[in-house]
Amino acid sequence: MPMKKIVLLMLLLSSFVLSSYAKEFMKIASVEPVLVQKGEQKNWCSVCGMNLKKFYKTSYIAHLKDTEPRQYCSIRCLAYDMQNHELDGDIKVVDASTQELIDAKKAYYVVGSKIKGTMSKVSKLAFASKEEAQKFVKKYRGKIVDFASALKMAQDSLKTDSAMVLKKKKKKIYPMGKKVFQKMCKQDIDLSNYDEVNQLKADITTKKLCKHLKEKQLQAVALYLLEVKKADTKEEVAKHIHVTKDEKCPVCGMFVYKYPRWVAQIVFIHNNKEKHLSFDGVADMMKFYFHPNKWGDYGVHDTKEMIKITVTDYYSQKSIDATKAFYVIGSDIYGPMGNELIPFEYEDEAKTFSMDHKGRKVVKFEDITPSEIYELDE
Amino acid sequence: MRSKINFYLIEYALNALLREKYKSFFIMSIFTLLTFLLTSVFFITNSIKYELQSTVDTLPQIIVQKIKAGRHYDIDESVVDDVLDIAGVDDAVARVWGYYYFENAGVNFSIVGIDAYEKQYKKSFENIIEDFDFATLEQTPSMVVGRGVKEIMKQSYYDEYFNFIKPDGSLKRVDVAGVFDGQTQLESNDMIVMPKETLKEIFGMDEMQATDIVVKVKNPQEVSTVAAKIKLIYPDTRIITTQDLQISYQNIFDYKSGIFLALFVIAIFTFFIIIYDKASGLSSEEKREIGILKAIGWKIDDILKEKFYEAFILSLFAYLLGVILALLYVYLFQAPILRDIFVGYSQLKTSFELPFIFDLHTLFLVFFLSVPVYVAAIIIPSWKIATLEADEVIR
Repeated sequence: MPMKKIVLLMLLLSSFVLSSYAKEFMKIASVEPVLVQKGEQKNWCSVCGMNLKKFYKTSYIAHLKDTEPRQYCSIRCLAYDMQNHELDGDIKVVDASTQELIDAKKAYYVVGSKIKGTMSKVSKLAFASKEEAQKFVKKYRGKIVDFASALKMAQDSLKTDSAMVLKKKKKKIYPMGKKVFQKMCKQDIDLSNYDEVNQLKADITTKKLCKHLKEKQLQAVALYLLEVKKADTKEEVAKHIHVTKDEKCPVCGMFVYKYPRWVAQIVFIHNNKEKHLSFDGVADMMKFYFHPNKWGDYGVHDTKEMIKITVTDYYSQKSIDATKAFYVIGSDIYGPMGNELIPFEYEDEAKTFSMDHKGRKVVKFEDITPSEIYELDE
Repeated sequence: MRSKINFYLIEYALNALLREKYKSFFIMSIFTLLTFLLTSVFFITNSIKYELQSTVDTLPQIIVQKIKAGRHYDIDESVVDDVLDIAGVDDAVARVWGYYYFENAGVNFSIVGIDAYEKQYKKSFENIIEDFDFATLEQTPSMVVGRGVKEIMKQSYYDEYFNFIKPDGSLKRVDVAGVFDGQTQLESNDMIVMPKETLKEIFGMDEMQATDIVVKVKNPQEVSTVAAKIKLIYPDTRIITTQDLQISYQNIFDYKSGIFLALFVIAIFTFFIIIYDKASGLSSEEKREIGILKAIGWKIDDILKEKFYEAFILSLFAYLLGVILALLYVYLFQAPILRDIFVGYSQLKTSFELPFIFDLHTLFLVFFLSVPVYVAAIIIPSWKIATLEADEVIR
């Protein structure tokens, strides 16, 4: 029987080997990565602080004027750094197939393949030989370009990519970083010495500013400390417009608390006291805004007396400043009073919504006209 | 003084009812049956609606599952990033959970992996994180178990730790760090909570994979749009939204309500035939009674009051009896036959108790549908007769 067993074992082994070959393309280094930055911080990208080994196959090394050599997780971070610094010398990129450092300017780039980009929607992978690149394209699609156009693509999409990354940071990473910081770290970390994420990450690990952290937690806490705590950006507290149960909309007379998703509010000063009126939708609020006297005497007679106008963002349900919001007219979403102006904090979200819900147009607060509002009722 | 209740009249009314025993009994039983039917159906629908709503409320708004070969498969954690990028998504969490079959005891444990620093998708997990230090749980692989689990493990002499068998056959020792106390209100007794990493190791899952992904959308109106977009980006997934569930439940429910409607119509029809019979005129016997009462000196007022008491006592008694019977039938006996009308199909989960919902609206609705109608049907013809001269009526 041992013969049979050996055959079986061989079969098993070979299937293992085969399956590992068939494995999906991974960005993580399978060889010992070359890290050129000084000290412990060499493990992380100079710009975003992501682990270089993990994204080794998309990583870059560049020399910038008056700086130490820097290493980036992706072409996106390189493009980001090139906004502030001038390039000095050549740029080296890791070959996605051989994992060796090659001259970026001579490399063939596969863009738009099925592989996801690092910090970008579109991936840009470098190859030393054209054949390798073509082989890759055959498997994962995409097209072959040179370094200049790949960099151009990265620069062009820098803004949207950064917005995408920021969105994720706000929703996931900052809250996680905050929790980690409160539970695991010394509360008196002096942040004034740190400008870059990888410096901070290096010191957190070497100087034991925090208890033992995993890579994901370390990244989260470092980003939170630098981008929220140090920058002192006010943490967004999701605030909703509060309405009491007896408040009625001055325009339509309906109770507002029943429609919390549509609440809009006008705050004004009357007899030196701050007062407010609540509306069950932006359309009604605008009717009041244009003709405050038409709906009865509420102590506000002119738009100049209104000190603050807030509306409820459709997506996040947060209270936002009405004068800075974007409104979608003519969508297929109805409020309590029928056709509505749907308010959004960000223009891109308003546009997305408009596309999803057949909106007619996106307007800013100052572009809304009374005739447009009354047309909604028809 | 005059507004005082005249007990003599009530006594007379009661005697009048008892004098016509069979007729009173017949009307009362019809009346009782009607209120019983109506209220029990309303009770059942209310309870089922409540039960469904509370089931649906505990589910996440959207669940994204990867489907491979028609079966649920592990999903890439990177899907979370793409989902977060969709407008309107508030949060997306990759869940790691599953069942572990413990052969010695022949039971399934349900195991949930949580990351202490993530936003939790269930309130009860927040409590566990507060009670137990997950940072240390991660370093020496440990878990927190439910009481039931603890007992079962103890029977197999696992007191301090438990050996899980990994898919590759090797063992993974996980220490028991604690037991949930009753106050954390975990859904089930058979649950184990441990750090995500440990659980992934036990289940033999890839580091970057998860069981499924739950998505939170702030504006419930956007759930279907978000779900459609996820489906577009990942055609290989199954998207389950609470709205879908609610709609399919509602559909079954509406269909069943049709059957109920037929019952309802028959009951109401019977009731109104009785009313019609009453209202179309009194029997000569009753007419004579009113005439005699007038002849011996009763006022119209008194006669009407007496008739009112008579009708009211009968209908209120029948109503109360019907409601009490319905309460007993629905909540004590769990509505043996009627319930099947609503929960006979396999789409609905089969085993559940009808939760006790006391809905005053229902009781008022049934009350006003029956009692005043019956009272009016007695009073109006009596008043017609009572206004006539006594001799005219008796003659």
